[in-house]
Amino acid sequence: MSTKNVIETENLTRRYGARLAVDGLNLRVGRGEIFGLLGPNGAGKTTTIAMLLGLVRPSAGRALVLGHDVQADPVAALRRVGAMIETPAFYPYLSGYDNLRVLALAGGLPEVRIAATLEAVELTDRARDRVRVYSQGMRQRLAIAAALLPDPELIILDEPTNGLDPAGTAEIRALIRRLAAGGRTIVLCSHILSEVEQLCGRVAILKAGRLVAEGAVAELLRRERGLRLRVEGDSSRAAALLAALPWVRAVEQRDAALLVDAPVERAAELNAYLTHAGVPVAEIGVHTSNLEQFFLEVTGDT
Amino acid sequence: MLHNLFAAEWLKLRKRPLAWALLAAFLGLLTLYLGLWALVIALQDGTLSGGRLRVEVLSAAQTAQIKRQLSFPGVFGAVLGQVNSVGGILAVILAAGALGSDFGWGTLRAQLIRAPARGRYLLAKLLALLLALVCGVVAGLAVGCLIALVAGMALGLPSSLRGGDLLALGAGILRSLYVILPYVLVTFVCAASGRSALAGAGGGLIFLALDVGAGSLGSLGMVSDAVRFVVNLMLQPNINRLVVENAALFGLDPTVLASGLDLATLPSLTQATLVVAAYCALFGYGAWRLLARRDISGAG
Repeated sequence: MSTKNVIETENLTRRYGARLAVDGLNLRVGRGEIFGLLGPNGAGKTTTIAMLLGLVRPSAGRALVLGHDVQADPVAALRRVGAMIETPAFYPYLSGYDNLRVLALAGGLPEVRIAATLEAVELTDRARDRVRVYSQGMRQRLAIAAALLPDPELIILDEPTNGLDPAGTAEIRALIRRLAAGGRTIVLCSHILSEVEQLCGRVAILKAGRLVAEGAVAELLRRERGLRLRVEGDSSRAAALLAALPWVRAVEQRDAALLVDAPVERAAELNAYLTHAGVPVAEIGVHTSNLEQFFLEVTGDT
Repeated sequence: MLHNLFAAEWLKLRKRPLAWALLAAFLGLLTLYLGLWALVIALQDGTLSGGRLRVEVLSAAQTAQIKRQLSFPGVFGAVLGQVNSVGGILAVILAAGALGSDFGWGTLRAQLIRAPARGRYLLAKLLALLLALVCGVVAGLAVGCLIALVAGMALGLPSSLRGGDLLALGAGILRSLYVILPYVLVTFVCAASGRSALAGAGGGLIFLALDVGAGSLGSLGMVSDAVRFVVNLMLQPNINRLVVENAALFGLDPTVLASGLDLATLPSLTQATLVVAAYCALFGYGAWRLLARRDISGAG
């Protein structure tokens, strides 16, 4: 494994009977990155994370975390990994402090870390209350505190802002940025794609267990830049005319408009060409995509 | 590393309301059991009516046996007998809660991320559970001693306690825990298999009931030596042998009050110890294997 990579998977596969939950996944997450792992429900994100954390055994392939094979040496692989998966889970009859103490004891971590992590998520005042009386947002913060306990190099957060109010969400986002600025690697799963777009440098998108897109967010969205135009009359004729141009890479009909994969600086040339061919252009502009649009396109959920 | 895990499990167990509720139930039932026997003796001897009214429902041998249970050192045997009957049921419930709730609440995930060695996790849980059972037994013995002191004074029962009895008490406590161990481990198997406390408690209690029921097959041992050999490979006859030996340590004879128990058909103490060890190994391996191989999912 490259020393730059904190996570590497090689053909990571998990099969449940006839269903492939994760299908030959090859992922690389570099040190210090904030990496988004995205996909619709059932795409295999949680199974992938569970395999990275040694909770689910791969059917084939392997996962390396911090340079160690998770299956062969889970203790070494997970020593400096903090994780929060799906719904936060705690002992309801124990206080927040004692829940963290259980994890600290189990992991052989110094108890002084507990106060620091509670402080980081601003739960110090309620630390002695039983988790049973915590709100969803407080449980979410406690789960993040639990993830921070081992002073992790790698933090895996599944829907970290779920259940938080806007102020809490902003705080957690700021915390994630601070953690990343401190050199930690963060893998973030979230359905709030604007959040991912704000936080993540790179993303991978899964669909039905397969990797359908991966790359830097800016790069993926730049690929989605082009021209958007609406013509008067027959748009299919306009599409055929445009497709014949050597500098037009693709033309796609979307609703009443045409999305043209072409250099945006040739907009005027394209307008003149269509007008000259007898297809008046009613509207023309630059088409940009956000992560949400891109996600919907690559996952086919438009 | 194991001591860290043990400390974590002990913290979870000692702060768990279920553990305290089960301890209260055990002590309550123990008090009821010994108190009722004291009442029977009081009625039998006419103590309550100043000797004017005697309700003689028990044989002389049974009366003597109960009086031994209410005085030193027989009360130790009586308490340990209760540990191995009602205490076994409560231990199954506690074991089911200890392992099954980690599945049900989804806390097993977080715990295994911090400490991924699943065998150690299971061993630490078992050790913490056994320590809790020791505490329960000691509390039961304390209550038993108190009742024996009160009953001894009220009923004028003779008592004698020697140093050897205290040594025997240590051995008796260990043996009573050994008797409970296979049921705790089979509960772990059920909890890991069903991934819930309910599956653990249900499976453990059903096994316990079937096993006790199978004890009635002991009389088949009289048919021939071969049949007796086979019957004595089941768990219950071996458990019965260990329980009988524990009672005998304190001068009690369980056959006096349980007429269905035939000592002649029970296996030897050595065989009983080895067969129970074999069942413990089988169930312990099963629980570890299930936990080690299974995917750990979220809250159930």
